[in-house]
Amino acid sequence: MSEKPTTDDTEAGASTEAGRTPAEPDFLKVSDLHAGYGQARVLQGLDFTVARGEVCAVLGPNGAGKTTTLRALCGMVRGRGSVTLNGTELLGRSPEQAARLGVAHVPEGRGTFNDLTVEENLRIGAHLHTGHWRRGRAQRAAVAADLERIYGYFPKLRDRSRQAAGSLSGGEQQMLAIGRALMLRPSLLLLDEPSLGLAPLVTRELFEIVRAVNEEERTTVVVVEQNAQLALDVAHRAHVLEAGRLVLSGPAAQIREDGQVAEVYLGVSVRAGTGG
Amino acid sequence: MSAVTEVLQQVVEGVGSGAVYASLALALVLIHRFTGIVNFAQGELAMISTYVAWQLVASGMPFWLALPVTLAVSFAGGMLIERLVIRPVQAAPELTTVIVTVGLFIFVNAMAGLIWSFTVKDFPQQFPDGGIDLAGVRVDWSTLGIIAVVAVVMGLLYLLFQHTSIGLMMRAVACNPASARLSGIRVGRVLMLGWGLAATVGAVSGVLVAPVLFLEPNMMGGVLIYAFAAATLGGFDSPVGAVVGGLLVGVAETLAGAYVDVIGADLKVGVPLVIILAVLLVRPQGLFGRAAVERA
Repeated sequence: MSEKPTTDDTEAGASTEAGRTPAEPDFLKVSDLHAGYGQARVLQGLDFTVARGEVCAVLGPNGAGKTTTLRALCGMVRGRGSVTLNGTELLGRSPEQAARLGVAHVPEGRGTFNDLTVEENLRIGAHLHTGHWRRGRAQRAAVAADLERIYGYFPKLRDRSRQAAGSLSGGEQQMLAIGRALMLRPSLLLLDEPSLGLAPLVTRELFEIVRAVNEEERTTVVVVEQNAQLALDVAHRAHVLEAGRLVLSGPAAQIREDGQVAEVYLGVSVRAGTGG
Repeated sequence: MSAVTEVLQQVVEGVGSGAVYASLALALVLIHRFTGIVNFAQGELAMISTYVAWQLVASGMPFWLALPVTLAVSFAGGMLIERLVIRPVQAAPELTTVIVTVGLFIFVNAMAGLIWSFTVKDFPQQFPDGGIDLAGVRVDWSTLGIIAVVAVVMGLLYLLFQHTSIGLMMRAVACNPASARLSGIRVGRVLMLGWGLAATVGAVSGVLVAPVLFLEPNMMGGVLIYAFAAATLGGFDSPVGAVVGGLLVGVAETLAGAYVDVIGADLKVGVPLVIILAVLLVRPQGLFGRAAVERA
């Protein structure tokens, strides 16, 4: 079989689409995570868990360590402690190994392949499931089905499939980056500041798509966001970081309702604007 | 012979030598695109590949069997150099990588001298003598052969990059290595593959030029300068540019040698330097390259 943790043959066989799989609260388990860059220690012992199929928002002010957390999960920065995905240790692995274990990271600033066309960008995401040289009919069909799936979420990408990724608008590039990540068929999707530099309307559209992906594919999502309000609308749970430590955790709805908490830790009034 | 056919004659000669510059320039561009490194040792790698071919032929192997063996050896050698010499300094500042490739140049050159000595060897001409006459312009079989071989190499590279999944991955790595990693591409292996390919393409240029230049450890020095001019002219990021640049440099070189009295045969080698200087002054990114963009 494969090294991918998505296919856990033990349970999947018994209770398939019934959706009665136990919640698996420890699908992603971060324990005592320390990470940093050279001398600068950013994360100072982080503990949290994300249940399978959950959208988890990581919030906090600038410099709190949100991006570093994601980078430690996907192997872009080295971390100490333990991070397990479905029981498999992620720390100490390279980004390419993490990707092969089902972690798809959409970095801050998108990281699309600007010289390649939109469709080529997406095909890059499919390579883990297909051979490098020979492609059987079944594999080609699988890639085509995956492309259809992505175009279903992002119809704009279909219209631009032959264009160079570098010619897309910022919002379209972010969609492409997420689309490429989804082509990996990840079990864990990491989104770093998807709203960065995008218009509010585009950002909202993007988060709606993330919600749809999560609902339809039960992909576990960890999203780092400055825009707390938006992230809390989509997330099931939220963790608030400050100076490399976890200061608050809870159901997103609860954190959203508790305006005071949000104001203290996030420096924003999350209820503002939705008053009416 | 009319003036026009005379010029055309020079152009044909120029395209013939230009094809050789093009293939070495292509090797330079491949490596630059993948790793951001300008490989000063590219010509020497081609030279040592040519010695491998010579050795095989001298020991009795028919040339057309020795050629694929040589290319395979070059491919493996290129991959090995990436892994052992380049990878350790990949993250180092540009000056470090420049010095490493210059060091590789000296090392390979000295090794060739040590093994095969610095005396000139005769490399067998593979293409038949004679040629064809096209409206008064004489085209040697050897010129046609060189152009055909280089065209085949370009065609194969095009197919590899545009129509295979491994080629797509190679382009992705050249474009954005960090994102390629995050997509699960084993970037290290792709870079090895890139160096292997470049060494192979460079080897083709060495084998093609050897019958003209005679085989000796310093034979690629001049060709490397022309290839640099070609890559600069075409744009160091553009494989198409390398080919067009190579042909233009070849033609410019022969025309200048034939028609500009001051230059003549002796100063021909100054032509690529003038081209490099002019391109850097007027259009630093070259004909097909893009203006410098900050790399992430």
